[in-house]
Amino acid sequence: MITHHPVDATLVAAAAGTLPAPHLRVLAVHLAHCPACAGALRAAEAVGGGLLADLPPAPLRADALDRALARLDDPAPLPEPASVTPAVTLAGLATGRWRRITPWIAMMALSPRDTTDSRLDLIRVRPGAALLSHGHTGLETTCVLQGAFDDGTAQYGVGDFAEGDPALDHQPRALPGETCVCLIATTGALRPHGWFGRMVRPMIGM
Amino acid sequence: MYVAMQPWPACAGAAAPRRPSGPVRVSADDPAHPRLIRAVAERADRQAFATLFAYYAPRVKAYLQRTGSRADQAEELAQEVLLTVWHKAPQYDPARATAAAWVFAIARNRRIDSLRRDRVAPAEPDPTEMPAAPEPADALLAADQQAQRLHAALAGLPADQSEALRLAFFEERSHSEMETALGVPLGTVKSRLRLAMAKLRLALRDDA
Repeated sequence: MITHHPVDATLVAAAAGTLPAPHLRVLAVHLAHCPACAGALRAAEAVGGGLLADLPPAPLRADALDRALARLDDPAPLPEPASVTPAVTLAGLATGRWRRITPWIAMMALSPRDTTDSRLDLIRVRPGAALLSHGHTGLETTCVLQGAFDDGTAQYGVGDFAEGDPALDHQPRALPGETCVCLIATTGALRPHGWFGRMVRPMIGM
Repeated sequence: MYVAMQPWPACAGAAAPRRPSGPVRVSADDPAHPRLIRAVAERADRQAFATLFAYYAPRVKAYLQRTGSRADQAEELAQEVLLTVWHKAPQYDPARATAAAWVFAIARNRRIDSLRRDRVAPAEPDPTEMPAAPEPADALLAADQQAQRLHAALAGLPADQSEALRLAFFEERSHSEMETALGVPLGTVKSRLRLAMAKLRLALRDDA
């Protein structure tokens, strides 16, 4: 059962088109598990439509409508790459190569740091193992694809969505059972705590 | 020259204004936007398209300018957005989105595509790509009524919540920048968005 959901500010950012693409990919995994949040995102898009309708119209070129009418019979443009439905399953997402970070943690880079300084990775953690204790310089969003973890305050299972902002410091730990695999988007750098974290940070390119 | 603000849904009359920036006539008998989109889908109805164009193109242009496009870029992108409305009209599903939400999502995606240098990473699932389910005859009306309830609820929001929403949708800002713009802490911005969305979701419910 899904118990952890994105906050409204995150859904609104997704609807507004200001949430960086890696976070949208993580959100897409949650939405595939959570019809309520999929509905909430549609509501946020409806709000975007309502605000659009309320905007003072900008003046158009005098020939704007005639230009559009003249182009109606042109062939439809090819679908934009942005409209491809993203993968939301572990099998669909894990198309790269696992890199071992420690004997109990592996990562797979899915998209490198983009213009918003955000990146997308899969992280695989052996049951019972702790991830690095870390904070963030920017938004971090995570959705569980397999297994479960505990971040010290709550447990997260498949489909649960976790988000942290710069104020949050946490040390997630994979729960016993299946190997825990999460899709994780990070904006900015992680701030690992302790000498070990600082040592592996360059290794994992964070 | 600005068109006078129209109450939602400001549907123009059957005779499409040839000057899109001219005043848009409103009559209670005019078909609402979901029906116009359906007319485009079913009959390639150019008159219906012209009416949608007159309403949405100036607003889409305003949206694109608000979010950072130059006037000439915004004009061109608004053309493309409305052409997408023409081509994708068969995919519009009134059970999933109000007409304005559908146009907004197309405009938003076009804006993101125009900004994106790295076109490799797919974006979120695109609601405009969802195949339209066959809808009951009253779904078009329901989508329109939903839009009207939403409009009333938006108008009734406290100023601070409405300001937070407008910043979130129309200014290219991160939440921490919104914090600065509104002069309140990030937690306050988030709670204003939460309060606003709770009310608006209620208004969007079909039994509201």
